[in-house]
Amino acid sequence: MKRTLSAILLAALAASALAAQAPTIPALKGKKVQLTLWTHEDANRMPLEKGYIAEFTAANPGVTVNYVTYPTDKIRDLTTTAFAANQGPDIFNLQISDAYPFMANGRVAPIDFKMTAYKDVKDLESKYLPGTLAPVIEKGKAYGLPLELTNYCLYLNKKIFRDAGLDPDKDYPKTWEDVMAVSEKIVQRNGEIITRRGFDFRYGVEPLICWVPMVEQLGGELISKDGKAIVGDDAWLKVLTYVRDFGPAGKNLGSPTYTAARKVFDLNKNEIAMSLSGLYQEARIIKSNPEFYNSKDWMVIPYPQWKDAAKRVPNNFYGHYYVVNAQSSKLAQQASWALVNYMLSHGEAYLQKVAIVQPSKSLMESKTFKEMPYSDVFAKDMSAAHVVYYGASSTKIDALLKEAFESVMLAGGPSPKEALERLRKSVTEVLASE
Amino acid sequence: MSSIAASPVARRSSSAAITSVLAWVALAAACLVVIMPLVFMAGASLMPPSEVLSMPYRWIPKEWKPANYALALAGNDGNWLFLRNILNSLIVASTVSATTVGLSALVGYGLAKFKFKGRNVVFMGIMATMMIPFETVMIPIYLIAVGMHLQDSYQGFIVPFLMNAFGVFLMRQYLLGFPTEMLEAARIDGCSEPRIFREMVFKNIGPAAATLAIITFRQQWDNLFWPLLIARREEMKTIPAYIVKFVAEKNSDEGTMMAVAAIASIPVFFLFFTLSKYFIGGSAVYGAGKE
Amino acid sequence: MKRARKTRPSLEAAHDKWGWFFVAPAILYFSIFSFYPILYAFWMSLTNKKLLSLKPPTFVGFANYQKVLSSSDFWDSLKNTLEFTVGAFVPLFILSLAFALLISSRKRFQRALQMALYSPAVLSSVVAALIWLIIFDPRGLANAAANALMGTSGKDYMWLSSTSMVKVSTVIVYVWKYVGYFTILFVTGIGKIPASVVEASIIDGANARQRMLRITLPLLRPTTVLVSVMILIFCLKTFSTQYLFTQKGASLRAVNVVTLNIYQTAFRDQNLPQAGVMSILLFILMLVLSYAQLRASRGEEEQL
Repeated sequence: MKRTLSAILLAALAASALAAQAPTIPALKGKKVQLTLWTHEDANRMPLEKGYIAEFTAANPGVTVNYVTYPTDKIRDLTTTAFAANQGPDIFNLQISDAYPFMANGRVAPIDFKMTAYKDVKDLESKYLPGTLAPVIEKGKAYGLPLELTNYCLYLNKKIFRDAGLDPDKDYPKTWEDVMAVSEKIVQRNGEIITRRGFDFRYGVEPLICWVPMVEQLGGELISKDGKAIVGDDAWLKVLTYVRDFGPAGKNLGSPTYTAARKVFDLNKNEIAMSLSGLYQEARIIKSNPEFYNSKDWMVIPYPQWKDAAKRVPNNFYGHYYVVNAQSSKLAQQASWALVNYMLSHGEAYLQKVAIVQPSKSLMESKTFKEMPYSDVFAKDMSAAHVVYYGASSTKIDALLKEAFESVMLAGGPSPKEALERLRKSVTEVLASE
Repeated sequence: MSSIAASPVARRSSSAAITSVLAWVALAAACLVVIMPLVFMAGASLMPPSEVLSMPYRWIPKEWKPANYALALAGNDGNWLFLRNILNSLIVASTVSATTVGLSALVGYGLAKFKFKGRNVVFMGIMATMMIPFETVMIPIYLIAVGMHLQDSYQGFIVPFLMNAFGVFLMRQYLLGFPTEMLEAARIDGCSEPRIFREMVFKNIGPAAATLAIITFRQQWDNLFWPLLIARREEMKTIPAYIVKFVAEKNSDEGTMMAVAAIASIPVFFLFFTLSKYFIGGSAVYGAGKE
Repeated sequence: MKRARKTRPSLEAAHDKWGWFFVAPAILYFSIFSFYPILYAFWMSLTNKKLLSLKPPTFVGFANYQKVLSSSDFWDSLKNTLEFTVGAFVPLFILSLAFALLISSRKRFQRALQMALYSPAVLSSVVAALIWLIIFDPRGLANAAANALMGTSGKDYMWLSSTSMVKVSTVIVYVWKYVGYFTILFVTGIGKIPASVVEASIIDGANARQRMLRITLPLLRPTTVLVSVMILIFCLKTFSTQYLFTQKGASLRAVNVVTLNIYQTAFRDQNLPQAGVMSILLFILMLVLSYAQLRASRGEEEQL
């Protein structure tokens, strides 16, 4: 049933896309301009965006677009180097905590509203969920249009739960203590080597997203309002100790050296029961394992909270915004904003085909969004969440956090207290040098 | 005298036999350990992912999956861009090998056979460049490349790597052993220096050239960052970039990843096996003219 | 008479000037792509330019050097580099020398043996890292082999997840990759020892061990020196193994070698000047160590 519904929707979208006419921009009439667009690799998003680019260039024949994708873990370094040599692309997107240095150094251009569907900054803000554009608005000017805003919730494999003797609808974890208890019941090992995990964290490039909310739930802070680093020792120590207990030096329930949880989850090969991911993961599941998607064997539950949490903090959300190079020619900037605006105006298609969520009010209310499985879980968490920390040195702080948490987890690493001191010292240094 | 000669020989043959066997065992074990990961790659490339990390590991696949190779070549988006990447890598690596061999021969010859003032300074200076890690100079070189308008072109891949210090060193070592008398004779006959180089020297650097060619080819084949930095279109990317992208996309399919790795390694292995006779264990490379 | 004296020296001089002609490409190339960049890095280290900033750099003298030399982060990465270098140098040197001696004394299959040992060096480092990441996966071959060898069962030797083991893992990969390369160099060096000297020693009654210690090794000195300096420089410059491993989950702190630190400081932290400082310091370290190595071996040679 779901499949036919998706098929109909897709067909309708395709038909409407064919009928769609990209706007012909008067400012670009009769002019020739070559644009370069850099974005991170996403097998679902690329054909969609290339389609829109084709429509746009058909309506504006003077424009050619060079669309290049890069590995997610390299695009930041490559974009940075290119800009350092004043060779940056015209359009690019980065995660907000990586993009902020570009903004801070004046490397990205403010939105040219005449090229977009919005009148001005206020109009733009009003069309999106409150607070979701704040990271790209500075001194009354807006510098980016949202490509996606993501928050993580917990995906759960019902089959594995049942296999471990648990009832997924009753026994699903609501607290971090539950998560550990449930994982202990589900985990299977060959000696010390884990063959099936219950829950595993999402390591890799997003520590600000993963670990900080856990600390904030207990009342701790990354950076306090008066600029002090790493506040609330009890909170930090509790999370660090929990992480240590989770890893190979503790109860051996998971570690960053196994294959990434979210990738293994999709395969449904009895390898992991729970994984943190965003709504976009659903598109990945459909693509890589449609039977799993269509069976009812998975569900999404809200981001766990501590039993004695001081306040409810869902996962911090992070965003990708499309931004434009401030050094591009005026014509290129205009064409860039027009193109970006056109692509992003298809919020429902992005949701349908790539499962990424643009935080526009219209999308949140659309049928497409409401019909995506468990979108209400994501929406509920998102409404109570705040944006991930960003600032001039967010990338470095991100790396320091990753190092602190992962070093505690790995065998032979520092104790939680040592890691905490070290983290506080380095973050303070970083903030001081800003 | 004869008894002294006789008994050492007798002693030698039995202990020598034992030593010989032990030596062979050690060597065989070493070769096995060293080759094992390569065999693993070959085997795993034909397995479905569930078998690659199965415990205990079965060296022979229960289920053969040559489809891994088709998927590896076609890429996850089915656009066969991998083939273009392979072509790019081939063009870049071959060209850089050629220029490196040619230029290193020129420079090595100059350093080996000409006693000009400042020769040692030049040589030491070139050797010192071997100590500069690429990460250090990547950004300034990028700025230079941009200044020369080399982005997004094969020249951009090639020009920063036209030659290297190791090549100069190798050629100089080799040419030190070149018989100077032949050069003298040619000069007396009235040959110009460039002609001497072209006709006599360059034609006789076979072993050193082969060695340098393999090493340089493999180095360029392996170059990940620079091509990624310089290429501004998908079609210009090289093999390492493709591998990294493939691994990030379909991380869980270890079998296909090994197929990609295997495909990427074939050209280099092919070159290696064909040219190895120049390369291996030859006094040929270093001691030209010696026995 | 006079004419002969005039032509011979000027022929020599003219002939020697050709040397400059032949080395000119190198001078041009290395000036542009080696010397200028390192000078640029040095210049950067004396300023405070942030990578993305459009503002021109301002001169701050040696302030960055002070910052780096007093940061524990730098000393940690230096320690990691030195640990790695020592850890890899010893096995690489001893194993390649041992294999070369064994191979040279074989009568057959010399070439095949060398090819087998060299084959890992043919792979690209991206491919090698990929293969080893799968082998070091807790479910992979490394644990299987270790369990079999140590008689344990199901024990996770934590190849990538223990701060001490991950250092061992990077050394293993490095030694695996390069042992064949240095073996070939040694075999070549051994091949240059005149057979007559060896034969004479056999006639004099020297046994294999004496031959090795008194004849082969001393005569191998030039190759030994070459190999040890090369291993040293290779190890100090190591980058891709550590980079690719940390991308895939290994602890950064354990294997954060100086080159990796330089890279992260430049790109992740946008701090080009401090990256420049570390580059210059590493460069100086390599020069000093290589020079010390060469002097030490020359001293030994004189003793002989």
